[in-house]
Amino acid sequence: MNCQRVQECFIDYQDGSLPAGESAELRAHLASCPVCQREWSALQEITRKLDALPDAPEPSPRLREQFYAMLDTHQREADAPSPFALARGRIDRFFAALLPTQPALQFAFSVALLIGGLFAGRHFMTKPVVIAPVDDSAKTELAALRAQVNSMGQLVTYSLLQQQSTSERLRTVLATMDLKSPDRKILTDLVGSLAFDPSINVRLTAVEALAQHADDSLVRAGVLSALPRETAPLVQVAMIELLAGARDQSAKPVFEKLSRDEALDRNVRESARRALAVLRLPAPPANNPTATIKANAEPALT
Amino acid sequence: MLLAAAQLRVPSQPFAVNLPVAVETPTDHDLMIAVRAGEIRQLGELFERYHRRLYGFFVRLTNQPSISEDLVQIVFYRILKYRHTYRDEGKFSAWIYHLARKVAADHFRKHASTPAPIDPANLVEHADPEPQPSEQAAISEDVTLLRTAIAHLPLIHREVLVLSRLQHLDHKEVARLLDCSIGAVKVRAHRALKELREIYFKIRKEKTA
Repeated sequence: MNCQRVQECFIDYQDGSLPAGESAELRAHLASCPVCQREWSALQEITRKLDALPDAPEPSPRLREQFYAMLDTHQREADAPSPFALARGRIDRFFAALLPTQPALQFAFSVALLIGGLFAGRHFMTKPVVIAPVDDSAKTELAALRAQVNSMGQLVTYSLLQQQSTSERLRTVLATMDLKSPDRKILTDLVGSLAFDPSINVRLTAVEALAQHADDSLVRAGVLSALPRETAPLVQVAMIELLAGARDQSAKPVFEKLSRDEALDRNVRESARRALAVLRLPAPPANNPTATIKANAEPALT
Repeated sequence: MLLAAAQLRVPSQPFAVNLPVAVETPTDHDLMIAVRAGEIRQLGELFERYHRRLYGFFVRLTNQPSISEDLVQIVFYRILKYRHTYRDEGKFSAWIYHLARKVAADHFRKHASTPAPIDPANLVEHADPEPQPSEQAAISEDVTLLRTAIAHLPLIHREVLVLSRLQHLDHKEVARLLDCSIGAVKVRAHRALKELREIYFKIRKEKTA
């Protein structure tokens, strides 16, 4: 060990952290080297002086006071959470209360949610995929749809017959002609129009519309009852022809009365007489009465 | 890390006698974790355990008792401010000395780098006001001389001496605080002691002359 190496080891030797072998070497060197000896004793002296230095004096009470004041301030800040954190905590608690807390239940809940989602997806997503089905169920569906449209048309008719404007009423009556099988309500409304509508045009069109359904006894009874009150010759003629076309025998007395009434229009009387003649004839073998009506009605109207 | 911590704790045991470390269950680390979690008041216990040590560190370093009190306060303020940065595997004493060194460095940077030469008023404050027997008076004078000598050391050497000799920190711990190797700490400590001795004898010579 040379002097430099020895002096490098002084600190460790002082601490007692120098390995035993090196410590022995160091001691042997110190015994023989006066320079290192002086150096060592100087180091020991200053170290002893340092270690003998009394502990730092006690800090003043001011330090403790200030520290605890600061601590209080910080604790208050920490204890008073921001309103945002408060609200978030409340929301968190709300959802925590809704959802299960046990892991097993949480798992079950998740699985249930997944299955529910798959089921819902299957249920709702496949519907639009079915294209133009040709089976029976589709046919009945189509029929139901048609019926729905039909009934909707009727509904429109009911409301439209109450219209105040003549042209509106006329259009409504014309619209009923498109209905292939109008129900009782529409027929009664048409008869009502025939009996009470102030417009000749509407009444005339109503007769035309009713002519399609002349085989209905209700229609014939309605027309028959409206006939004596009718004043417009055009409408009277149309009504007479409708009843004659339907070969309604109950109209005979009314026809006879009309044919003798001198106050009426000449055409009306002639028409009534013609109708009586038709009624006296034997029933034609034709199974389509409407065809004869049309044939008879055309010239009378023109 | 754990091993190092265990090794570091061993040398501090003999000195624990004159320190206010209680034999209570919570360790420094437990307390600091609690503080980090929001139990700010737990810092009070850490204050009781460490404030004298820190105060001593600052007094040795600055020789200014009232400023040292402020610096201790700053250290604890920073502990609160940066409590979230305290790590689970951290060692509290290392952390607090790390903060203390930074606080001291900030202080010296602000106050023209060199420490104020020893203030005679402070020395009077430290010195025992009672009349001394001649032997004790000599010791007291010696202490004053040594303090003056320490104050004249460059900061880098003063710091090493204060930490290893006066704060009784292990060389390994000092090395970690100063961010250098243990060997470097030892070399620095040796040089610091030699330098201190030279300054000490120079001052004594001047005084006697």
